[in-house]
Amino acid sequence: MPVRNTEHRWGAAAQLFHWLIVVLIIVQVTLATLADDLPPGARKLALLARHKSVGITILMLVILRLLWRSLNLTPLLPDTLKPYERFLARVTHAALYVLLFAMPLSGWMMSSARGFPVSWFGFFTLPDLVPKNKSLYEALLTTHETLAWVLAAVVTLHVAAALKHHFMLRDNVLRRMLPFTTTPGPKP
Amino acid sequence: MIVRRPTAAVRAAAAGWLTAALLLAPWTARGADTPGITHYALDPARSSLEFTFMQAGAANKGHFKRFQVALDFSAENLAASKLDVAIEMSSSDTGDQERDDTLKGADLFAVAKFPQAHFAASQINRTAAGYEAIGKLTIRGVTRDASVPFSFRTATENGAAVGYMSGKTSVRRLDYGVGQGDWKATDQVGNDVAVSFALRLIAH
Repeated sequence: MPVRNTEHRWGAAAQLFHWLIVVLIIVQVTLATLADDLPPGARKLALLARHKSVGITILMLVILRLLWRSLNLTPLLPDTLKPYERFLARVTHAALYVLLFAMPLSGWMMSSARGFPVSWFGFFTLPDLVPKNKSLYEALLTTHETLAWVLAAVVTLHVAAALKHHFMLRDNVLRRMLPFTTTPGPKP
Repeated sequence: MIVRRPTAAVRAAAAGWLTAALLLAPWTARGADTPGITHYALDPARSSLEFTFMQAGAANKGHFKRFQVALDFSAENLAASKLDVAIEMSSSDTGDQERDDTLKGADLFAVAKFPQAHFAASQINRTAAGYEAIGKLTIRGVTRDASVPFSFRTATENGAAVGYMSGKTSVRRLDYGVGQGDWKATDQVGNDVAVSFALRLIAH
């Protein structure tokens, strides 16, 4: 599989970004859910510290991913799509990218507003994005949680569309993002 | 009414008390008569006692809002100089209510059982950078030897003699049992806690 994208297929690098971020988002949801159930304490602190580090990792990956995307071809959408479907696909993908920025940034801002500096796995400490402010923290907490639900909704739509392409439309849209499949070319 | 002369025993006892009182006078005056020694007490409004700790890989700060300092000091008479610091642990403030409540709880400061931390130094030495106070530090009921380096300068402000004392030291929290249960782990909250102070002391 080539590293770079082609007109018909996502390259290895783009696939790695995609699936790595998928795995990290699952990790994020797990850490956040586990931490939510705990009373304040060392274990909660540890889970949230990981959550923040993984979140910053996602932010870094998304920046690299967009950079890579800008240097590559973007595989074409199938010709069979109606204009409104094309539009919907573009909007969904744009929303996913926006959310991949908004989630970690709102979390980082939330931690700054709380007065807890964010460290990346203890290797370095990130600057505070906003000054410490209790009501700002509470607003950002709500924002972060709301965005998580919005992300869940958009991801659901994204997955549903991928499955529809694969099982109902029987095109290559899902397969071309899978590492262990071959996509000889566009379907006739 | 019968007036009696004091008996020999009473006279001896009185003389004994008088002698004892004279001998003890320099002690009870607590160095008032020790050459050069000045007694200083804290100016709380213009003093700070801060601590910096690693939480989740990042440096976080807190401070104590209530503490007392008694310093008997003379640069020319270090042998008679001494320092006593008492800290109200319930006055710790890290700027976060939830964290402060956790910090005061049984696993960390345990303020209900150990309301005060205490540093008592009866030995003050001159060092290359200034001075160091050597004594006993008690936190959470555990007492250990500790030495605290500090710098000291005097000034006269509005006719009053004041002293400025500042310094930094490091305390390993687990040496004093600050961190029981899950808090014994040092990956999220570091063992080393940096303590810094900048005190304005008023001579009296």
